[in-house]
Amino acid sequence: MAKPKVAFYWNASCGGCEEAVIDLNEDILKVVEAVDIVFWPVALDFKKKDVEAMGDGEIAVSFINGAIRTEEQEEMVKLLRKKSGLIVAFGSCSHLGGIPGLANFWDRETIFTRVYKTVPSTANPNGIVPQQKTNVPEGELTLPEFYDTVKTLDQTIDVDYYLPGCAPPPDLIMNAVTAILEGKLPEKGAVLAPEKSLCDTCPRGEKKPEKLSIKEIKRPYEIIPDPEKCFLEEGIICLGPVTRSGCGERCINANMPCRGCFGPTKEVIDQGAKGLSAIASILGVEDEEKMTEEDTKKLIDQIVDPAGLFYMYSLPSSLLKRKRMA
Amino acid sequence: MAERIGVYVCKCGPNIGDKVDVGTIVNKVRGIKDVAVAKSHNLLCSGDGLKFLKEEIKNEKLSRVVIAACTPKQYEVKFMRACEEAGLNPYLMQMTNIREQCAWVTPDKSAATEKAKSFVIAAINRVSLQESIEKKEIDIQPDVLVVGGGVAGLEACLSLAQKNRKVYLVEKSPCIGGLTARFEEVYPTMECAPCMIAPELQEVLQKENIETFTYSEIEEVVGSFGNFTVKVKKKARYVSEEACIGCDACFEPCPVEVSNEYDEGLSTRKAIYLPFAGSLPNVPVIDEDNCKRFKGEECSICKENCSFDAINFDDEDRIIEKDVGAIILATGSTLFDPKELPQYGYGKYDNVVTAMQLERLNASNGPTGGKIQLKNGKEPKSMAFVYCVGRKEKGYCSGICCMYSLTLAHLVKEKLPGVKMHNFYTDLCLPKKEHQKMYKEAVEKGIEFIRSGENVTVTDEGEKIIVGTNGKKISVDMVVLAPAVEPNVDTEKIAEVLDIPRDDQGFFAEEHTLMKPFATALEGVFVVGSCQGPKDIGDAVAQGGAAAGRILSKLIPGEKLELEAKVSEINEDLCSGCNICIVLCPYSAISRDTEKKISVVDETLCRGCGTCVSACPTGAARAKHFTKEQIFAEIKGVVR
Repeated sequence: MAKPKVAFYWNASCGGCEEAVIDLNEDILKVVEAVDIVFWPVALDFKKKDVEAMGDGEIAVSFINGAIRTEEQEEMVKLLRKKSGLIVAFGSCSHLGGIPGLANFWDRETIFTRVYKTVPSTANPNGIVPQQKTNVPEGELTLPEFYDTVKTLDQTIDVDYYLPGCAPPPDLIMNAVTAILEGKLPEKGAVLAPEKSLCDTCPRGEKKPEKLSIKEIKRPYEIIPDPEKCFLEEGIICLGPVTRSGCGERCINANMPCRGCFGPTKEVIDQGAKGLSAIASILGVEDEEKMTEEDTKKLIDQIVDPAGLFYMYSLPSSLLKRKRMA
Repeated sequence: MAERIGVYVCKCGPNIGDKVDVGTIVNKVRGIKDVAVAKSHNLLCSGDGLKFLKEEIKNEKLSRVVIAACTPKQYEVKFMRACEEAGLNPYLMQMTNIREQCAWVTPDKSAATEKAKSFVIAAINRVSLQESIEKKEIDIQPDVLVVGGGVAGLEACLSLAQKNRKVYLVEKSPCIGGLTARFEEVYPTMECAPCMIAPELQEVLQKENIETFTYSEIEEVVGSFGNFTVKVKKKARYVSEEACIGCDACFEPCPVEVSNEYDEGLSTRKAIYLPFAGSLPNVPVIDEDNCKRFKGEECSICKENCSFDAINFDDEDRIIEKDVGAIILATGSTLFDPKELPQYGYGKYDNVVTAMQLERLNASNGPTGGKIQLKNGKEPKSMAFVYCVGRKEKGYCSGICCMYSLTLAHLVKEKLPGVKMHNFYTDLCLPKKEHQKMYKEAVEKGIEFIRSGENVTVTDEGEKIIVGTNGKKISVDMVVLAPAVEPNVDTEKIAEVLDIPRDDQGFFAEEHTLMKPFATALEGVFVVGSCQGPKDIGDAVAQGGAAAGRILSKLIPGEKLELEAKVSEINEDLCSGCNICIVLCPYSAISRDTEKKISVVDETLCRGCGTCVSACPTGAARAKHFTKEQIFAEIKGVVR
């Protein structure tokens, strides 16, 4: 029997998800043994036309990382959708929009102006910005459209499963591959990670006070956090409570708070709003009755860039989706 | 089985009927999925209307009902009952308000109709997702704990102590009666306070189903309304309450003499003492902090002088555990310490006293047997009363200081008719039906009232004390300060033991100032008397009785307690134990299950406010009847 065909593809991403596949180490050999990798631009020399030549549904599963930012990405994922039995959104960017999704606080024009004109290191005296069509003596050159809004993979094509994380950890990748190979998949649309949030597995959970209250907000660079204490207890905003577990507490063990890359649990529609609501609820809650409006404002103002903080990985997938430009 | 939703649009006579095109709405919603019936009615809340509704539910075999009518605050209970009577779980009915929120807010009939239509669609969307909720009942303990033996606590004890119900009265001091027992005559009746409360004190001490623990404090409270378990620490008294007959033989020989706090430091007492003459129960107490024996010295003079073998130096603190259904806090208040404001000269000049000190000087059970005198034993010939001491600092008017000062002025004037009296006030607070009269009478008696504001200074000039205000100086023999009323020192500790909130001023916070002035955020815990805010005797008694009444109507021996049905629940499979909800719950209904490492809701305490639900970062906390799905479905109906 022929081995199942597998494809990997990348969109607006940093390349870390590709690294995550390599991070399987020896396990990658097991994967290669079990499947035929038919498309993987970062590692193997297959072309778009090779994919186009395949029959519909011929690829058993495509692992697609990165958010959808350009016309080309949209075209490629639509092609892969057609040719694949299963689509797995791989990593935070394709799952939730991820870091590239923070660009939804701007649009194409403001981004191009910044990147090609006003960045101090840019020398562009003629103010040239990318154009979809450019005429040169040899003829017309084209570039794919750069969209105003970054989208998640499932806002572009139908997605079967999600592998969360920035990047997804090797054990979850292997679990997913094994489940696919063995046909032991959960209900369509599932996130292939545990249901509970990070506090469930957080090594700092045991010593956490029963009554959490934040008196003063600290940013990670301002203090050296006690590696035994809950970050919230120390006034450092940690999105662990609002973020799905399964990451192996990589940040926590490096003495850094959770930033939410695994996305929300299944009951939560908007991770940022939930995070904001949870954190706001415990700000100064112990001395609430003594706090004046001004004290409250002062405390809240200690949160620098709240939109970027609470929606760091999930802006495109949120109820807000993007900033409305004037 | 397919759902059968019945939609009933009430015309409320002309109230909705004339302003909203009810027919259009009925026709429009008929086609919606699962809507089996849509009808209008002229007045659904009427007897005919309710009968019609019940028949419809039965005849049409409805599984869910939408009622578009007035605000649910008006008749939701009525409609819920009708559903129940027709065999439909009342939580499968949804009301939507098309009267106050549609018919009455615009004269534009088409706009009102459009809005009402979207409301009805929202309610249909929502009702489809509603779930049956069964009400729960729990067994209760009808006994009650009352903390504090002042007038408010006494009233509560006596109202509650009935057949099949015990009352436990816990009093911190060695005697009951609170502040009132230490006053001479009280306004507005100018009655002898100890005489007035003596029968009540005796009744409390002798009534079979009241058990009094004096010299005791509450240490721990667990549980919830209907079923609290309380640990009371009964401090060692070293004198047997059973053997002692109150003969006083032990006082005289005691070699220790210390300042008597029950006389505001105006007299001394022994290390074995009664707080004041006639204090009840008539059993002395040995003060460990001052008794020689407890300082390691050999002394047993009191024991040697006791003919009844009532003194037991080996007595120990005891922890007594009691199960009660409700708790009434009546822990009282104290007066602001004028030493904090040096301009009044309190603590600096001998003859600057507080109103409470003057009370004790005037009291027949006080240090001078009721003789009002200066430090040197002479009668004062002139006095000044300074009102509002600490009002600015505390940030509130205590509301009783004007009256207690006026009372004292009258009492002094009666004893010493020749005394010249000057009252320095800011604003006179004389709000009740008898109070204005007392002021008028004071003026008639020649008592002077000077509107000084808070700008008052007290200095001395030889034997005399000079009260200065706005350039004016008056020389007197004695100055009486009327300090603000403030919470007792142990209010904070008790609030912590019970986990109930205090207000900005430090008093126990009532649940609602106007509508639930004696309830707290913790169901089954009541606050009465001046521990909830400054109060006079009458108001304190009224609150004590009111809280008792509330308990009597809810904790009926042999009956069960019905719990709130729309409570929150925490999904074990989703809760990650982040603890965020625990500190937020205003009713202390959430705690950590240390074994499962998750939060759990005590349904007997939860009132379904939804605070935990909105803060829960994983969506594990869910409010019954207000689920995310129900609310979103409703929103979609409105904004579609």
